[in-house]
Amino acid sequence: MKKLNNYRRNFLKNSSYFISSLLFSSIFKINTSYSKSKLKPRIIIVGFGIGGATCISYLLKFSKNFDIIVIEKNERIQTCPMSNLVIADIIPYSYISHDFDYMRLKNIKFLNSSVKTIYTSKKIIETEDSSKIDYDYLILSPGINFKNDIDGYNHKDRTIIPHCWNGTKDLFKFKKRLNDLEKKSTIIISAPDYPYRCPPAPYERASLLANFLKRKKKKFKILILDSKDSFTKKEIFLNEWRNYHKESIEWIPKSKGGKVTYFNKKENYVKTSNGSKFKADFINIIPNQKAADILTRSKLNGNKDWCDVNPMTFELKNFRNIFVVGDSIDAGDMPKSAFSANSQAKILATNLVNRIYEKDILSPVFLNTCYSFSSSKRAFSITSWYKLNKKKTRIVSLGSSTTKVDALSHQYYDETRQAYGWYENLVKTLYG
Amino acid sequence: MKKSKLFILLILFPFHIFANDIEINVIIENCKSCHGQNYEGNNYIKSLKPLEKEEFISKMIKYVNSNNDHVMSRISKVLNKKDILKMADEIYEKIE
Ligand SMILES: Cc1cc2nc3c(=O)[nH]c(=O)nc-3n(C[C@H](O)[C@H](O)[C@H](O)COP(=O)(O)OP(=O)(O)OC[C@H]3O[C@@H](n4cnc5c(N)ncnc54)[C@H](O)[C@@H]3O)c2cc1C
Ligand code: HEC
Repeated sequence: MKKLNNYRRNFLKNSSYFISSLLFSSIFKINTSYSKSKLKPRIIIVGFGIGGATCISYLLKFSKNFDIIVIEKNERIQTCPMSNLVIADIIPYSYISHDFDYMRLKNIKFLNSSVKTIYTSKKIIETEDSSKIDYDYLILSPGINFKNDIDGYNHKDRTIIPHCWNGTKDLFKFKKRLNDLEKKSTIIISAPDYPYRCPPAPYERASLLANFLKRKKKKFKILILDSKDSFTKKEIFLNEWRNYHKESIEWIPKSKGGKVTYFNKKENYVKTSNGSKFKADFINIIPNQKAADILTRSKLNGNKDWCDVNPMTFELKNFRNIFVVGDSIDAGDMPKSAFSANSQAKILATNLVNRIYEKDILSPVFLNTCYSFSSSKRAFSITSWYKLNKKKTRIVSLGSSTTKVDALSHQYYDETRQAYGWYENLVKTLYG
Repeated sequence: MKKSKLFILLILFPFHIFANDIEINVIIENCKSCHGQNYEGNNYIKSLKPLEKEEFISKMIKYVNSNNDHVMSRISKVLNKKDILKMADEIYEKIE
C-alpha cells in the first residue's frame, strides 16, 4: 500500500489544475487534465443513506480525480423521512424507496456489502465477505444502532412490533399489525430519551396513527409514554391533539411516570419508572439509541454513545483521515435529522476536497428544518441555523423558531407542500 | 443619522450573527436543500431561476422584515443586507 504522503505529493505535482480557492461553487470548475495520472487518492464512503449520499453528490464532480468507492449494505434505500406517512397510508411505499442509479454514479465503484471491521492503523476496511480494501480517506455515515436498556425488550426480537426507526421492510410488518387491530384498541408508543434520530418523529407517529385509525373508523386510545419531560414542537402537537383527537392521545412525561423500564411481550404490557403498569394491544417501543454498530465494533466511538468529531471537517477526534457525519456523531446542538446530515455532509465533502488540494478549510454554518405532519393536510416545522462556538469545537444553535400554534389552516396545509418539496429535492439530488 | 432612521435600519436588520469568516457560498448551499441543486425548485417549492436579481433582493428583504412565521422569514432572519447582496451576486452569476 502506498504511503499517503507520497501519494499526495505526486497527486498534487501531477495535477495541472490551478484554482485560487476551492469554494463550493468554484469547486466544480477544476481543469481535470491531470486525471490521466494513476495516482489518485482513494476515498471510501460507508453508507449510502442521507449523509453518505450527500457526500457522494458533492464528490461526484471529482470522480475522475479521486478513486471513490461506496459501500452500502442494503439493496435499495428506504428513507425514514416520510415513513410515518406510509405507515398511515397517506402516501405509497414507493415514495420512500429508492433504487441505486448506477448511471449517475459514473466512475464511482459501488459495492453492495456490509463493512465488518475497520483497521485504522493499516487504513483498511473489511467487508462481510472478508474482502479487504485500503483507503486514504474514509467517510462513515452509517446511522444509528439501538440499545436494549428496557428490561424484557430486545430490538432484534422478530416477534415483537418493530420499532420502524431505521428504514427497513419491517415497516410492512408494522402496518400489518396496525391493520389487524380490533375495533377498539389501546396503543402505546414509548418515546426514547435524547439524543435520538428525529426528535419530533415519535409524536408525528402518534398523530398519524390516530389519523389512520380515525379514517378506518376504529376506536382507540394512544398513550405516549415518554422518557423525557418535554419534546420539540410540543405546544403545536398538543394543540393538534386537543383539536383533532380530543382525549384519544395522551402524553405521559417522565416526571409523571412515563419512562418505560419493563416490557412483557407475552402479556402485552409495560411498566414504567414509578411502578405503573400499562396494558395495550399494540406496543411500539422506540428504543434509546447510539452510534451505528460498525463504529462501536471498530472502537471509533471512544466508549461513548456517539462519535466525537472536529465540526470543521468531521474528522474523528482521535483518528486521522476518518470522517463521520450524520446521526452517528455528537453534533452539539444539532438534532439528528436528514436535513442536518445533509447540511453537515456538504461541509465534510467540500472541506475534504479542500484538504486534499491543500486549500483553506471553510468555516461552516449549518441549517436544519424539520417538518412534521399531524394529518395529510396539516404540517408544521422547526428551523434553526447553527455555527461553531468561538473555539470551533462545538456546533451551537443560533436559536430555533417554529410555525405559530395559531397559524391559519392554509399555512398548515402550505407546510405539507413544503415538506414534500424539501423531500423531493433531497431524494432527487441524492438518488436521482 | 437621525434617531428614527437608525431605528428603522435596526428593525430592517436586527441580527447579524454569521461571523465575517463565513463564505456566502456556505450559506447558499443550504438554500439548495429546498430550492434544488440549481435553484430549479419543483412542484411544491418555487424555482429561484425566473427571478431577476433585483427581485430576489427585494423578496429577501421582505422576508427578513416580515413578522410572519413563513419558513423563509424564519430562515432569512439571520441575514443582513450585505449577505443578501452577496447572495444575489453569487446566485445570479452562477445560475445555469
Ligand atoms: C420515523 C422517522 C421520521 C423521520 N423524518 C425525518 C424528517 O421528516 N426530516 C428529517 O430531516 N429527518 C427525518 N428523520 C431522520 C433521518 O432519517 C436521519 O436523521 C437520517 O437518515 C440520518 O442520515 P445518516 O446518513 O446518518 O443515516 P442513514 O440515512 O440511516 O444512512 C445510513 C446508511 O448506512 C448503511 N450502513 C450502516 N452500516 C453499514 C455497514 N456496516 N456497511 C455498509 N453500509 C452500512 C445503512 O444501510 C444506511 O443506508 C426521520 C427518522 C425517523 C426514524
Ligand atoms: C426549508 C425549505 C427552504 C429553504 C432551506 C430555503 N427556502 Fe426559500 N422558499 C421556501 C419556500 C417554501 C418558499 C415560498 C415560495 C413557494 O411557495 O415556493 C421560498 C421562497 C423563496 C424566495 C421567493 C421566491 C419567489 O419567487 O417568490 C426566495 C428569493 C428564496 N426562497 C430564497 C431562498 C434563499 C436565498 C435561501 C437560503 C438562504 C432559501 N430560500 C432557503 C423554502 C425554503
